[in-house]
Amino acid sequence: MFKKILIANRGEIAIRIARACHEMGIATIGVYSTVDANSCHLWHMDEAVCIGDPAPQASYLNIQTIIEQARRTGAQAIHPGYGFLAENARFVKACEDAGIMFIGPSSRAMALVGDKVASRNTVKHVDVPIIPGMETSSTDLVTFKNMAAQVGYPVIVKASMGGGGKGMRVVRSEQELEASVNAGQREAQSAFGDATVYLEKYIEKPRHIEFQVIRDTHGNVVHLYERECSIQRRHQKIIEETPSPVLDNALRTKMGEAAKRVIEAADYTNAGTVEFLVDQNKKFYFLEVNARVQVEHPITEMVTGIDLVRQQILVAAGGKLGFQQKDISQRGHAIESRIYAEDPDNNFMPSPGKILFLLEPSGPGIRVDSGIYQGWNVPPHYDPILSKLITWAETRKISLARMSCTLENYIILGIKTNIGFLKRIMDTEKFITGEYHTHFIDDNEEALIPQHENIAQVLIAASLIKTLRRTGVSAQIASKAAQVHKITTPWQELGSWEICKHD
Amino acid sequence: MEYKFIHLNKTHVVKIKKSDGGYQVSIDGKDYDIAGFMNKDNIISFELHKNLNNIYYAQDKDTIYLAVGGDYYTLVLERGNVFKGAGAQAQKGDSVKSSMPGLLVKVMVMVGDEVKEGTTLAIVEAMKMQNELRAPRDGIVKKINYKEGDQVEALKPIVELE
Repeated sequence: MFKKILIANRGEIAIRIARACHEMGIATIGVYSTVDANSCHLWHMDEAVCIGDPAPQASYLNIQTIIEQARRTGAQAIHPGYGFLAENARFVKACEDAGIMFIGPSSRAMALVGDKVASRNTVKHVDVPIIPGMETSSTDLVTFKNMAAQVGYPVIVKASMGGGGKGMRVVRSEQELEASVNAGQREAQSAFGDATVYLEKYIEKPRHIEFQVIRDTHGNVVHLYERECSIQRRHQKIIEETPSPVLDNALRTKMGEAAKRVIEAADYTNAGTVEFLVDQNKKFYFLEVNARVQVEHPITEMVTGIDLVRQQILVAAGGKLGFQQKDISQRGHAIESRIYAEDPDNNFMPSPGKILFLLEPSGPGIRVDSGIYQGWNVPPHYDPILSKLITWAETRKISLARMSCTLENYIILGIKTNIGFLKRIMDTEKFITGEYHTHFIDDNEEALIPQHENIAQVLIAASLIKTLRRTGVSAQIASKAAQVHKITTPWQELGSWEICKHD
Repeated sequence: MEYKFIHLNKTHVVKIKKSDGGYQVSIDGKDYDIAGFMNKDNIISFELHKNLNNIYYAQDKDTIYLAVGGDYYTLVLERGNVFKGAGAQAQKGDSVKSSMPGLLVKVMVMVGDEVKEGTTLAIVEAMKMQNELRAPRDGIVKKINYKEGDQVEALKPIVELE
């Protein structure tokens, strides 16, 4: 087993990884950019190394510096977390060349699953359904017309270099096709500097369901069931749950087995996620492989009881999985809400700045994976994710109610967060009944924007706060007034007392 | 005592006075009777219509951040005499501000430049999102309050026009 691991990340995921390392008796090396010198992930490290200026390119994406520091500090392995260098095949290759174990797949498997066309072909050969469409891009309109007729309308025109919805056009009839292809090409050119587009069948109101898979270097592979991630805003997941309210056991088994075949076909080792779209007729299609530990991995841990980061480290060290498919079951229901520093009152603009007050929830079935503290200045240079709130309960109904109540008791003041927005999703009927899909947020926009129905109470509170400051009324005097009106603690009512005094 | 609090561009007038064992608060003309209350560092509890309200808060100068039942508010205390005058003098469109705090990644103009309405003057970036600051009207750049690479606050003038 490794004695020292360098964690090439920051925030909550760096802390999550450090916890697993320490439980396994492994020392941790943390890295930080100059703006992160006061970040709390460093409190969980045995050594901390500054790797450069705040801009990600200068620090957390700086392959050369990170490898050098791993060598210098004697780290035998690097855990990349998610984001930054986690799915960079060049980084994986650099680790391999330096003789440092990368905790994740090999550079070859990473490159294969990272290539959309190559992974589609790999997947087809192991009998996993893919969204019907063009194998390669084309500039010939006839090719587009023929393919659209073959797969049937609606179809979607996508940029080959695509991402973030840019260059995408839904086409509902042949008359619209030519204009859409042209518009898609123009948009792709301006967004990605490459006008190449292709066409595939458009899946209406799909659900995004992914399977967690882990495979060791001895050929053992298991899936750890699904995560439903259909609640997205601007193609960004914000809420994930498991089990999915839409899968039955037969479909679950079928998809889980398909996910395992994908991982085996790519000769992929370590933890990975196979993403699928599920249409309204419950047909599923392969989307892509995420070659990393995912933001939403905790919900899988909650229902399976398996520590995924620990397993990642064990597999990277050459160990065998200690369980088989039949040993793994889903127990209860878990849900995750991603807490972002963004302002729902201002079109979800990023909201870096100082956290003036922080109260993190706790209680039965509550897990907080957090990377923040009171008094910390959230820097503007990185992802807006602050922490993740996960609740677990024996049923979906209780788990959702628990999440709704717990969000209310997660208080972050000083910066804007999406906590209220997440709570309103929990309280939306279509979410509670489980009848949702990837357009849920757009479809329910009106119900989800803040209504500020508590404005009167809040203004009363503000005027009380200001008055008390000005008149110098202390908390004690104020609470004396409270006593009269029976907002008291037992200690105030008890009078004098002694322990174990018997009269 | 009278306060003016700004919430999302709307000003609310709040009057508060002591009453028998509590306070009487009037908000935009509507009255509320507040019975007992407790005020700790970051939580204030009070009774209104026999309901106990527990509200978390934090203050930064004239800004109060509050949370109640998963509902979040940012109130800014409007200071009657000191700042009102200065605010009234400034004409709409004299300065360009960022609606989010972030990094000033690019400044496209220099003092003395003539700009047309809609010209991009600067770019502020935060958490992977870029925000272009455009000229609200035709004018000449009078002052630039930050340089490239600086961290800027929300709603503070970055470029001023004359």
